[in-house]
Amino acid sequence: MIVSLSWLRDYVPIEWDTDRLANALTMIGLEVDSVTDRYDHLKQVRVGRIASVRPHPNADKLKICEVAVGDETLSVVCGAPNVTEGMLSPVALPGTQFADGTVLEKSTIRGEISEGMLCSEIELGLGADRSGIMNLGSGHPLGASIKDALGLSDAVIEVDLTPNRPDCLSLIGIAREVAAIQNAPLTYPEIPPDASDGNIGELTSVIIEDPDHCPRYTAKLVLDITVGPSPFWLQDRLMSVGLRPINNIVDVTNFVMMETGQPLHAFDYDLLADNRIVVRTAKEGEPFVSLDGKEHRLSGDMLMICDGEKPVGIAGIMGGLNSEINDRTTRVLIESAYFNPVSIRRTAKTLGMGTDASHRFERGVDPAGTMRANERSARLIAELGGGNIAGGAIDANPIPYQGGRILFSVGKTNRVLGTNLNRDAMADILKSIEFSIETIDDDVLGVVAPTFRVDVSRPEDLMEEIARLSGYNNIPETTPLIPAEGRPLAMTLRFREKLRELMVGFGFSEAIAYSFAARRSGDMLNLPKDDPRRRTLAILNPLTEDQAVMRTSLIPGLLDALGRNIARQNRTVRLFEVGKIFISRGRNELPEEIEMVAGLWFGSRQDGSWLAEEAPCDFYDMKGVVESLLAGFNVPRAEFTAMPDSACNYTRSGHSAEILIDGEVIGIVGEVSSGVLASFDLEQPAFIFEIDCHQLMNRTPTEIQARPLPKFPATARDITLIVDRNLESVRILDNIRNTEETLVESVHLFDVFEGDPIPQGKKSLSFRITYRSSSQTLEDEQVNRIHRDISEKLIQSFKAELPG
Amino acid sequence: MEQTIEEIYEEAVRDIDAAADEGRIQELAVIYLGRKGKVTRYLRNISQLPAQQRPEAGKRANQVKQALNQTFRDAEERLGSAASTDERLDVSLPGRIPARGRLHPVTQINQEICDIFVRLGFDIAEGPEVEKDWYNFEALNFPKEHPARDMQDTFFISDDIVLRTHTSPLQIRIMEKQAPPVRVIAPGKVYRCDSDLTHTPMFHQVEGLLVDRNVTFGNLKGILTTFVHQMFDEQTSLRFRPSFFPFTEPSAEVDILCVMCRGSGCRVCSSTGWLEVLGSGMVHPAVFENVGYDSTQYTGFAFGMGVERIAMLKYGIDDIRRFFENDYRFLAQF
Ligand SMILES: [Zn+2]
Repeated sequence: MIVSLSWLRDYVPIEWDTDRLANALTMIGLEVDSVTDRYDHLKQVRVGRIASVRPHPNADKLKICEVAVGDETLSVVCGAPNVTEGMLSPVALPGTQFADGTVLEKSTIRGEISEGMLCSEIELGLGADRSGIMNLGSGHPLGASIKDALGLSDAVIEVDLTPNRPDCLSLIGIAREVAAIQNAPLTYPEIPPDASDGNIGELTSVIIEDPDHCPRYTAKLVLDITVGPSPFWLQDRLMSVGLRPINNIVDVTNFVMMETGQPLHAFDYDLLADNRIVVRTAKEGEPFVSLDGKEHRLSGDMLMICDGEKPVGIAGIMGGLNSEINDRTTRVLIESAYFNPVSIRRTAKTLGMGTDASHRFERGVDPAGTMRANERSARLIAELGGGNIAGGAIDANPIPYQGGRILFSVGKTNRVLGTNLNRDAMADILKSIEFSIETIDDDVLGVVAPTFRVDVSRPEDLMEEIARLSGYNNIPETTPLIPAEGRPLAMTLRFREKLRELMVGFGFSEAIAYSFAARRSGDMLNLPKDDPRRRTLAILNPLTEDQAVMRTSLIPGLLDALGRNIARQNRTVRLFEVGKIFISRGRNELPEEIEMVAGLWFGSRQDGSWLAEEAPCDFYDMKGVVESLLAGFNVPRAEFTAMPDSACNYTRSGHSAEILIDGEVIGIVGEVSSGVLASFDLEQPAFIFEIDCHQLMNRTPTEIQARPLPKFPATARDITLIVDRNLESVRILDNIRNTEETLVESVHLFDVFEGDPIPQGKKSLSFRITYRSSSQTLEDEQVNRIHRDISEKLIQSFKAELPG
Repeated sequence: MEQTIEEIYEEAVRDIDAAADEGRIQELAVIYLGRKGKVTRYLRNISQLPAQQRPEAGKRANQVKQALNQTFRDAEERLGSAASTDERLDVSLPGRIPARGRLHPVTQINQEICDIFVRLGFDIAEGPEVEKDWYNFEALNFPKEHPARDMQDTFFISDDIVLRTHTSPLQIRIMEKQAPPVRVIAPGKVYRCDSDLTHTPMFHQVEGLLVDRNVTFGNLKGILTTFVHQMFDEQTSLRFRPSFFPFTEPSAEVDILCVMCRGSGCRVCSSTGWLEVLGSGMVHPAVFENVGYDSTQYTGFAFGMGVERIAMLKYGIDDIRRFFENDYRFLAQF
């Protein structure tokens, strides 16, 4: 809502300076977004003296003027008939922005350079005279801006209104609040009663077929008017709040809407078939052209204003081209109605139309203000258009407005707010904004809200009025009495916190990507048709095609981030993310939300330095991170099994493993396949892991039992076996671990070797087995015997050989 | 006497100068100053000199002994340190840096916010990011087709399912499950279809709710003032100003004095000197009715804040989109 102080002063005296006023409005809930001076654009327009006038060589009607603006003299091409030597006139310099938004540039007119523009009143928005350039009279210093020379200043305040305050979508509404905070009187415009009574019923009628959509419709008629430009005072009022003057009829309806908040519409009475109004919903598919020239297909739930035959306006939104006020209009029917806010909002949304009128109707206009606004309009139209008001008015009101009384407890209000205001103070506050008060007893007031306060229906609404007008900042801060009881922090929170800590400890930085994905992300990840991650949840109104569905994997987000990092020359990237993926259960069900953790490692294991050469990261780096992560959660035993080639969708076959705990797959680790890299415009290898947080959390021991430390020393023995190249080392490790021999404490694989002298198709694996007894120091003999037994069993089980 | 003390001294200095290492110095020390060393022997022989020469000779010999001691110490130091030059470290060389990751700034600020409220006795709850219209709007007193819904640009999955536009649905989910008193915060991701310098289609909020008997608007001010003072600093001024949220009445927007310009007006605060950081209010009775709480017995307050907004103010970040680009150079700063 935009208000100019010049207009606001018609209703309330303004005693405060503009900054104080703006701040005070903000502090009662009418947040001021900006304060500007509407004449600021005239700073670039100077007082100039027309020093000489000579004819334009190439155009009969144009003249070339030398205009003195203090220090310099400008050459200006001008076509005004009244330009005379010695006259003081406003000259706009290049860069001037006019009221209509256009910016003046230095130009060449018919071959002659024009260094500025001599302006008429209307061009500067200072009057209605368009007949010639403005004569400033005498006594102004040359070169001064006309803003200073003429003392032009008018503050324009833009208020960012919350949707609950449609009453303030009007000058009077804002003036009422200003009056309350300044403790000043509010003056309503005077509307003299109509002179004649009675004959409107013979000239027109209003039928409301759909009272739910339109509880009230009033009509007035003004006859014998002449359509023409409005007087300057009216144009100036409209321009001061950013509206464009059109003609005396339309300008009045806009003026009264801005003044009262009630939108109005003027029809050309003679263009209405049967000269009457029918309010009904549209016929399905009915065509309609609105005032802005756009054609609409109507649907059956849209409320239309119709004449005897056809729609002539979309109720509460915009009139129709077919009944528009035009130069030949002599009789005007003025509409002032109360429409159902939901109906207007739905239609405006469906048609994609938002107007000053629909904005007000959607939020709720004053249900009791319709007739008053209509009378005000009729009076002004008759005055400005030189016509007569037909006697009386039509007031179709099938559903009368019913206000209620709110019982309001002073004590409870003080208890909820934490204040200590007395009954009279509260009553005074409410009265200052036109609430009527009746005292029931010491504690209770009976309050009737004014009809324009559509947001007030409960005692709590009144509490807010008391609080905001007595000042939120005057309410003392207190501490609530909180019982000393608490719940343990949810396990998921502690788990997630630890997960992040561990990953950061491994050198990974946390990423947060959008939860959105491209519709084709399933294809980009090469997922099979029946993969659950193909069941994406689509957004009906996505911002971009890349964000059209909810993600079903964290990997695309990490690969996107990788691409961006590479583009910005970050050569080593270690990122992880903890976040949800969304698997659809159908459009009308909430999806399955699964929290995942994923990591990505790209570039080097360690950066090159004077201590060590740069080394690229590989599968075992990423696997090591996962192993360490699981160890960090004390997961007793995880397995990594080779992922079958058929299951390798976005990871490279032969370079991917599934992560299992207790035989359940909880995630994967591997190298991103070259195909998937390519679909993300990447080339060099990248390694990822992805784990279901819930699955991991459920398999994380919640309690830790400390073990006693060993009392006796351990003894280690090594063994090297030559086995088939494709044998998974974990099978030998498991075999040793699962041996019945209780003295085996641990086993460690410390070397893997292929190539000469190991035969083709074979590899050598070296293990260190640690033996320890909990009751004695082991004798060498004893250890040698056990080690020999174990070695022999391994040789047998895996058809292994000892190195030659 | 074979040698004068002067001769012994000169010879010793020559030998020390010629010594190549610490070992030789030690040998020389024995030769000259040892129990049977030349200086020691000279001193012992002084008793054989004529009596009138003895004091002068003794004094001179002791001076020489002291001077040699010093010379040996200097030589030892010189040769000793020269010997270990090979083992010296250039301590200015960079060390082996262990890999170190960083928590996302949003996570860090989120944790800081949660920690403050946990210290004030609040629990933490979480809920779904894809929500039913009922939880996101209807139960929070946003009727269908109400202009208040325009305050939040909503991503729709269907007529009835949306990406939650705020963390406020947690208020309903918590109160549905738990009888009063309630004292909880709910952090999480929220979604709005909006994208520019100060808006991203996804961001993070922390919701708060306190319901009990005798909870007042003054309590709301007290808790949020405590929060702001801990999050920013004790000197940060706040102002509470009336606003509108369908699920609170009275509603208040909480502004803090601009942390950039300290109130004098700058680009960050749009020259107002104040920054909006929290929305809040007393729980609307309609919300209590929707979850079956008795609004004649209980009152409460709710509040919500944007985590990115606070992170931007604390870290001086001017483009919210930076948070979701995951650029290493950005992440490494926090
Ligand atoms: Zn500032």
